[in-house]
Formats: sequence, C-alpha cells, structure tokens
Amino acid sequence: MEKFVYIALFAPLAGSLFAALFGMTPRKIFVGIVGSLFIGLAFVASAVLAYTLYTTGTVVHVRMMDWIQAGDFNVSFGFVVDQISVTMMTVVSLVSTIVHVYAIGYMDHDKSFNRFFSYLSAFVFSMMILVMSDNFLGLFIGWEGVGVCSWLLVGFWYHKADKTREENPSISPSWAANEAFIMNRIADLGMLIGIFLLYWNTGSLQYDEVFAQLPYLSETVLVGAAIALFIGAMGKSAQFPLHTWLTDAMEGPTPVSALIHAATMVTAGVFLVIRSNPLYSMPEVSDVSFFIASLGTFVAFYAASMALVERDLKRIIAYSTLSQLGYMFAAAGLGAYWIALFHLGAHAFFKALLFLGGGNVMHAMHDELDLFKMGDLRKKMRGTWIYMTIASVALAGLPPLAGFWSKDAIIETAFNEHTYVLWGMLVLTAGMTAFYSFRQVFLSFHGEDRHTPLGFHPHEMYRFVLIAMSPLAVLAIITGWFMNSYKAFIYQIGDGVQYEMSEHTHHLATYLGLIVIFFAVSGIVIAYLKYARTGEHAFRRNEEKENGFFYKLLKNQYYVPKFYEEFITKPYMMISEKFWTEVDLKIVDATVDGIAKFLYSAGDKTRSMQTGNLSNYLNWMAVGAVLLLVIAAISAMIG
Amino acid sequence: MENILSVLVFFPAVAGLLGFVVDKNSIRTYGITVVAIEFLLSLWLWLGFDMANPGMQFVEMIPLIPDMGISYYLGADGISLFIIVMTTLMTLIGMASMGETKNIKNMILSLLFLEMTMVGVFVALDAILFYLFWELSLVPMLYIVGAWGGPLRVYAAIKFFLYTFTGSLIMLVGMLFVAYIYHSLTGVWSFAITDWYALVLPVNYQLWLFVAFFIGFAIKVPMFPFHTWIPYAHGQAPTIGSVILAAVLLKMGTYGFVRFSLPMFPDASVLSITPIAVLSLIMIIYTAMIAYAQKDIKQVIAYSSVSHMGIIMLGLFAMNAEGLSGSVFQMLSHGIVSGALFMLVGMIYERRHTKLMSEFGGIAAVMPKFALIFGIMLMASVGLPLTIGFVGEFLVLLGFYQVSPVMTILAGTSIILGAVYMLRVMKRTFFGPLDNEENKKLSDLNTRETWSLIPLVAIVIWLGVYPKPVLAPIDNSVKALLSFMDEKAITQEAKDLIRLSNTTKGGN
Repeated sequence: MEKFVYIALFAPLAGSLFAALFGMTPRKIFVGIVGSLFIGLAFVASAVLAYTLYTTGTVVHVRMMDWIQAGDFNVSFGFVVDQISVTMMTVVSLVSTIVHVYAIGYMDHDKSFNRFFSYLSAFVFSMMILVMSDNFLGLFIGWEGVGVCSWLLVGFWYHKADKTREENPSISPSWAANEAFIMNRIADLGMLIGIFLLYWNTGSLQYDEVFAQLPYLSETVLVGAAIALFIGAMGKSAQFPLHTWLTDAMEGPTPVSALIHAATMVTAGVFLVIRSNPLYSMPEVSDVSFFIASLGTFVAFYAASMALVERDLKRIIAYSTLSQLGYMFAAAGLGAYWIALFHLGAHAFFKALLFLGGGNVMHAMHDELDLFKMGDLRKKMRGTWIYMTIASVALAGLPPLAGFWSKDAIIETAFNEHTYVLWGMLVLTAGMTAFYSFRQVFLSFHGEDRHTPLGFHPHEMYRFVLIAMSPLAVLAIITGWFMNSYKAFIYQIGDGVQYEMSEHTHHLATYLGLIVIFFAVSGIVIAYLKYARTGEHAFRRNEEKENGFFYKLLKNQYYVPKFYEEFITKPYMMISEKFWTEVDLKIVDATVDGIAKFLYSAGDKTRSMQTGNLSNYLNWMAVGAVLLLVIAAISAMIG
Repeated sequence: MENILSVLVFFPAVAGLLGFVVDKNSIRTYGITVVAIEFLLSLWLWLGFDMANPGMQFVEMIPLIPDMGISYYLGADGISLFIIVMTTLMTLIGMASMGETKNIKNMILSLLFLEMTMVGVFVALDAILFYLFWELSLVPMLYIVGAWGGPLRVYAAIKFFLYTFTGSLIMLVGMLFVAYIYHSLTGVWSFAITDWYALVLPVNYQLWLFVAFFIGFAIKVPMFPFHTWIPYAHGQAPTIGSVILAAVLLKMGTYGFVRFSLPMFPDASVLSITPIAVLSLIMIIYTAMIAYAQKDIKQVIAYSSVSHMGIIMLGLFAMNAEGLSGSVFQMLSHGIVSGALFMLVGMIYERRHTKLMSEFGGIAAVMPKFALIFGIMLMASVGLPLTIGFVGEFLVLLGFYQVSPVMTILAGTSIILGAVYMLRVMKRTFFGPLDNEENKKLSDLNTRETWSLIPLVAIVIWLGVYPKPVLAPIDNSVKALLSFMDEKAITQEAKDLIRLSNTTKGGN
C-alpha cells in the first residue's frame, strides 16, 4: 500500500515540476494535459487507498525520512492514511483533477498557461502533505505551502494595477494576494504557539503520541493548545475577524477560486479541528469547542448577510463559502466531527461546480461579473445553467441533493445539543443561503436580457469543459445518499468522531427537516418573485434602497476592510516611518554621531592649550594637580 | 589533514600576496580559482570531520610567546565547521557573481585577505589570535566600502570602522582581565580559550566581563541600539561588500557569544537572558517596522538583516539545545539567504543604477528568472517550511518558548512582519503594471548571474528539506556546550534554568 501513498503524494509534485520546466515558454497544451494526468493519477491512488481502507480497515502509516532533529526535538516526514485523511485525499484529488481539466479550457488564451499549471499542481502537492502528515509540523508544511501557492495564484495576474477600494473592493490581484498571505501568517503564529505548547508538554508532535498524552495534561495547557490551534484554523478557513482575505482572493483566476478558495484549502482549518478531535473533545476544553461552534454559526449568518446585496458573481460564491465553513465549524465545535467532514466533502463538490459554472459565465461575459449586467443567459448557456442550478439547489439544501443531507444534519446537531440559539440562526441562514444563491441564478440566467444592450455576446463554454464538470454535478446530486455508508466507514476510526442524535431528536427529525426546507423554499420563492420574472414584474434597480443604511452596511462588508485600513494598515505605516525618521535617525543614530562629534570638537577646542608657552603649561599643570588632590580627598572621605 | 586549518587560514592570504604580481586581466580568474580551491578545502574539512565527536578537532597548537601564554592555537567543532564552509562558499559565490568593477585587482586582493581574517576568527582558539583576526577583518572591509562604495562611502566606512573598533577595544580589556585572573589563580599565563573555560568565576566578575565582551560582540551583530552603522555600511557598500558583511561579518558577533560568553560566564548568561531578550525583541519588531518604511530595496534587506539577527540572538539565550542549535543553523541560513538577496539587489542596481522601489514595478514580466529566484529567497527569508529559513527560525522560537512564552509570541511576530515588508518589496518591484519605459528594456539574468545564484537556491531547498547533515553535528557540539555550562554554573538558579529549559514533560 505504501506505493500508493507515495503516488498520491508525489504525482502532483511531479506534475508541478514538469510544468515548471516550461514555465517561461509560450503556452503548450500538453503541459495542461500532462498536469491533469498526474493529478488524475493521484486521485486513482487515493481512491485505491480509500477502497482498501473501506474493505480491510487497515490504516497505512509510513515514515519517509528524518526532517528536523535538535536537542530532544525530533520530527520526520511521516504520513498516515486513515479514514479522515483518506476522505480529504479523495475529495482534494478528485476536485483537483476536474479543475485541472477545466483550466485547460479556461486558461487557453492566457500567455502564462504553463506557469499556471505549475502553481496549481504545486498547490495540490502542498494540500496532500497537509492532509496526509502524521504530525503537526508536517501539517504546518502543507499549511504554509498552500498559503504560498494561494499567494502565487491569487496574484497570478500580477500585472494589473491597484485601483481604489470604491472601484474594485479587492484593489488588485497582487494586493489581494499579499493580504491573504499576511492575514494567514497572523493565524499561523497562533498555530506555531500551539505546536510549541504541545511539544514542551508531550515531548512529541506526532498525532498519536500527542493524543495519547492528552489525559495527563493540565487544563491550562489543553485550553491553550486548543485556542492556539484554532487561531491557526481561523486564518486558513477565513473565520471572523480574519475573513476579509477570502472575498478579495476572488481576484485570482476562477479555477483557483473553485479549487483553493472553495473546495480545498479553506477547509484546512476545519480539517485541523477534525484531525485534533481528541483534543477538542476533552471535557476541559468544552468552552473552546462551544466558542468554535458559536463563531462558526455567527460567520455562517454574517457572511450570508453580505451575500444578500452583493452584485459580483464570484464574491457571492465566496460569501457562501465563508458561510458554509461556518456551518462546518458549528458541527465540529458541537462534537459532530464526522458530520462536519461529510459536509466538507459534499460542499467541495457542489461549491466547485458552482464556481466553475461561474467561471463559464465570466468567460462568456469577458470577465464581467456584475449580475446586473447579465440576465437571461440560460438560452445561450444551457449546460452551464443546468450545472449552476443543480449546484445552487444543493447549496440551498433541498432534498435529495447533497447539501440537504449534510447541512440538515448540522442543523439537527445544534438542536440535539440544546443550543437553540445556534439552531435558530443556522435555520435562518439556510433560508438566506437559498435566497442569495437563487438571486444569483435568477439574475444571471433568468429575467430580462440586460446584457445584449450592453454589447455582450455570450457563448457557451467548450464541450470538453462541460463534460469534465459532469462528475461534480453527479456528485452534487448523489453524495448525500451515501451518508449512512460514510458514517459506517468513519466510525471505524474510534469513539472520537462518533456522534449520534438523541432519541428525542430522532423523533423530531422529520419536523426539523421540514422547517429547514420551508425556510429554503421561501428563500427561493422570494428570489424568484423579485428577480426571475420578465415584463412588468421584471427586476428594476431601486436607487433609494441601495442608498439605505443597511444596504450600504452590507455592501461595504460592515466596513471591516475600511476599519482594518484605517486602524491597522495606515497607523502601522505611520509608526514605521516615525520609527525610522524620528527615532532611528534622530535619536539612536544621532546619539552615536553626537558622541563622535563631541570627541572631535573636544579635541579641536583643547588644541588651543598647546601654545608652546611654558608658563601656560605650568598653569594647566597646577589646575591638574589641584583637581587630582580634590579627587583624592573626596575618595578618601568616602572610602 | 592535520594542518588543514592553517592551510584554510593562510592559503588565501598567501595567494593574495602572490596576486600582486598577477596580471590585471587574469586576476579575476586567478581570484576565483583561489577561492574555489579554498571552498574545496573547506569541504574537505567537512569530509574529514568526525561527526560523532562534539569537541574540538584538527587542533593545532604552537606556543608563540610561552611566557605570556600566547600561542598559535586553532581548532574547529560542529559549530564553527559550518560557519567556515559558509564563509568560503559565500566568498566564492560573491566573487564569481561580481560584475564589472573598476580596480578589480585591488578588490580581489582585498577579498582574499578578508577571507583569511574571517576564517581565522572562526578557527582561533587563542584569545589574542582571535582578537588579531577580528580586528584585521576591519581593514579590507574598510577599504572595500571606502573605495568602491556610493557617494557617502567615506562616512560609512569610517563609521563602520570606528564603531566596531571601539567595541572590540572594550572586549580586549575584558580578555586581558580574564588572562590576569587566570594568572592570579593558577600562576601561569594563558590566552587559550579552552584553558579559560576551566575558570570558575564569581558571579559579579562574570557580569562585568560579560558586559565587556557583550559590547564588542553586540556592535558587530549589530544589536539594538548599536545597529545604526549597518544601514550606512550596506547603503554605501558595493554588492560584494554587503554580501560578505551580511553573510559572514555579522556572524562573528553571534559566534563570539557562543565561543566566549556562554561557556565562560554561564551564570551571567543566565542572568542576562531577560535584558538580551528584550533587546532582541526590539531588534525583531522595531527594525522590521523600519524595514517596512524604507524606499530603497537594499535598505529593506539591510534592516531585515538586523531583524533576523534578533532571532539568532534570542536563540543563543534559550539555554536549550533546540534554541541554540536552531540559532547556529539560522546563522548559516541568514548568511546564505541575505547574501543571495544582496546579490539580487546588486544585479538590478547594475542594470538600472537605482535601488528605489518607486522606480520599478511590473518587472516580473521582463525578468522572470530574476523574479523567480528573488521569490524563492524571499520565501526563505520569511521562513517558509522546506526552505532553509524555516528550520532555524522554528527551532529558535520553539526553544525560547520554554524560557518565556510571552516573549516568544512577541518574537513570533517576526513571521508576520517579515512577510509584511518583504511582500511589499515584491509587490512594488515585480508586480503591478510595467509602466516605466526604462524597465521595459531590462534584460533577464545572464549566465554568470544565473549560475552564481543556482547553488544558493539548491542549498536553500536542500537544507530546508534535509537539514540533518548540518544540524546533527551542530546539535552534538551544542549539547556538549550546554552540559558543560550546566556543570560549571555556580548559582543554583542558573543550573535550574538550564535543566528546566531542556526538559519536555512528556517523558520521551
């Protein structure tokens, strides 16, 4: 089995290096094809591993080589394929394969086509390290690796100039890339602290060894480690207040948004919490876990509220990702780790589909993303319309599609844990999700044709791209049907991830499900009435409403980016400049030069003593003698 | 093999003397050949080095002034071994990458003499010998900055010289005092550092001596608030000067702490953990902020150097093998990465004769190879895992966490602030629209430049993925140093701290 582990891990690296060979040459289509094949190979290997694990239940654990050894510290490159990591591996490699094929079509006119594939495959490699590592530091390699690839890919079109925030809320690709990197680094510091804490208290960083020691650790250590690791998770999974980078990251090419900023990388934080479930299940850290659930619920609602008024197609999908990540954290925080993981997988499929569909629209509309400039696209882009509708239904959580099963289970968990406030917010958010997803579908594909008068001539995407997307569509429909078999599969790992609803919740399950469906359907109906109709009921912009307080508050993302700019970025620049010009040059350096100048001028002034006149010298000698006597007298008195 | 250290020290100097008769047109080839042989010799040293032995190896000892206990005494352990290899490597690469230089003969000869003094500092086991090499290293550097530098070169060169010279004089007083105590206790004179190690000094003596040595080393490192000579030195020095300065000369200061301060004054070292850590934190945070405010790319890297040296200082005083080994490793890593960054800045300066970020923008489009290598070095500089920069920085922070979690969190902001100023350089120089006409004509790296950078890129990745060949010998010597300090410490507090900071609770 070891061989499959290495294939799954290193095939993406091989693909990346292969593409890098052609990184500075003009577009070569085979680079994309070979890259896709390598990722496909990784998928096949992951699938074989998953199947073997499913049938035999044997966890594969390999230790490749030493990495860092100093003092008692010893960490090696080790990889573990268990139920949790194999789920991630399969999902990541499958979505990656599809996105690679998709990108062959999407990026076909880009002069940096080869470079793009090199980065994209490097991302998959980092992600594989992240999910497969058997220790926290290995996870951290992947963690930082995906961060760099995200930086490279968000800033892929680096030549674009900075705009004002009013013109483009993300300013420019290179700005957005730096923002994402730096914000993640803030969180990474938290994660490093968690790693230090665990190392000094358990003497190891390997998951199994650390988890085995947990019962012997003090409450302070457990709570500290849980908080520190979660801070790390907050950065990657863009949880409030480290969330602003995710929407800005939409500056990257759409395949990137689909793969990194929807399906895989942003779920790394959720994965970390699920991976560390023995820690988060400790009774001592129950407050931290509850905080995670509450923050997740808050973010789910908060992000959904901003999506309600957004006009940018990709940003809406980004908000919905944020919101769904909130759902996952809610489940993980409440202890339903396997449900969080299941939603993670299901979400990866339908969200990637939604993004890739969005990419088709963007391609057709020549990079125009304003929904108000679209409308009635379904006649020209039938395949894309079907895909996006499927994905939106799945996202909205209607049965029998994937999103219903996984999201409903999360909402049910909140009820089961008697956290009714969370439950209420999650239900309400489900309604909002349905509304904004369908608002976006209706505004782009239905209603009146607003794009032709503006001179757009949209066309459908290449056929092979649509075919490549089809597995995602199928998965977005059927994933939920396998929830029970997945449950049996993941339960093999042990008590930690098992979660069952109480008898009471079980009885009410149907009613709870119906409540969620009611909210979702209402959302869709409202969206339909407002945005989908033509003729006299057709959607018209309402200036007055757009200038209203709430609309502007949501439109400006609650002024959080503005706040960061005014209260962090600008003061930091100002203080830095002051430190340089006022402190370093005028105080620290001036003191040094002052001493030198003093010595120099003292020498210069006292030079006049050397007159050559003997009686002058005698005078000075007398002064010196008196001075020495005085000093001697004083020291005699003190001594 | 017995005299390899002497050969390493004096081969460049002898070659430098012979170089006076070499023709101007072939001096470049001559110089590169010499430093290449020197590098191979240092590799041979590594090859012959017994990895299992944490003590001094290849020891040579010839009494020079027996009455005064001054001798020609050389040796290398796991800590100095790699600094020597790094020194010869960076001299080779720096010289090979050197572009058009006027009076190239003088430059190459200066570099050869400089190499002698640098290697000399890292192998000397006699305090007087150490001091001689330490001070002699100022002369070629003074000349390099003063003769080939920018408009303010004379001011910068004199400032560099006088500042570090003042510091070393105080260190010299300290050395003489140690020798005096040694004499009064044992009745014989000795300047051998290994003899000095055996001295058990009362705590107040240790403290005063620690301060005397500290001033000498701290100015060299340079620690806050003694760092202001470095922006001038880097700002004015030619590329090769900055490369050597950042890669090797600064390491002399941190090496001094390892060789003298820690083993000779263990109690004073433990007592000064907090003050030194505070200064290091100021270096890390304050200079990182100043780096962010710079307009000149080279100044950003100069200040970032100071910030990274803060991490190294912090690790030296972690008092555990994790932190101390990490710190020594970080010395190598910083040498290679900052050396490469200074070379890269030099390459762009040669093309455009400016280093101001505002003059650039979007040049990734015309210089993709340059942008790629700069990007790799940038990532190593901000400590990305699987690059050389991560290993040292991580171990230092990990080690210091056991001493003070709060200070470690503050020091950890280095990974954020480092990214902030480096990414700003990247964005303003390489990204954005290519709208300056001058920049559209820029040519990408030529063969000479590419091939002088590729070895560094290879090392950055190799030691990031597999640091063991270097880290293991360092760790061996560091562990020996720590157990020596533990035995020698006279106060219980110092012993307790050294023990505590070396224990994990897990029982593994």
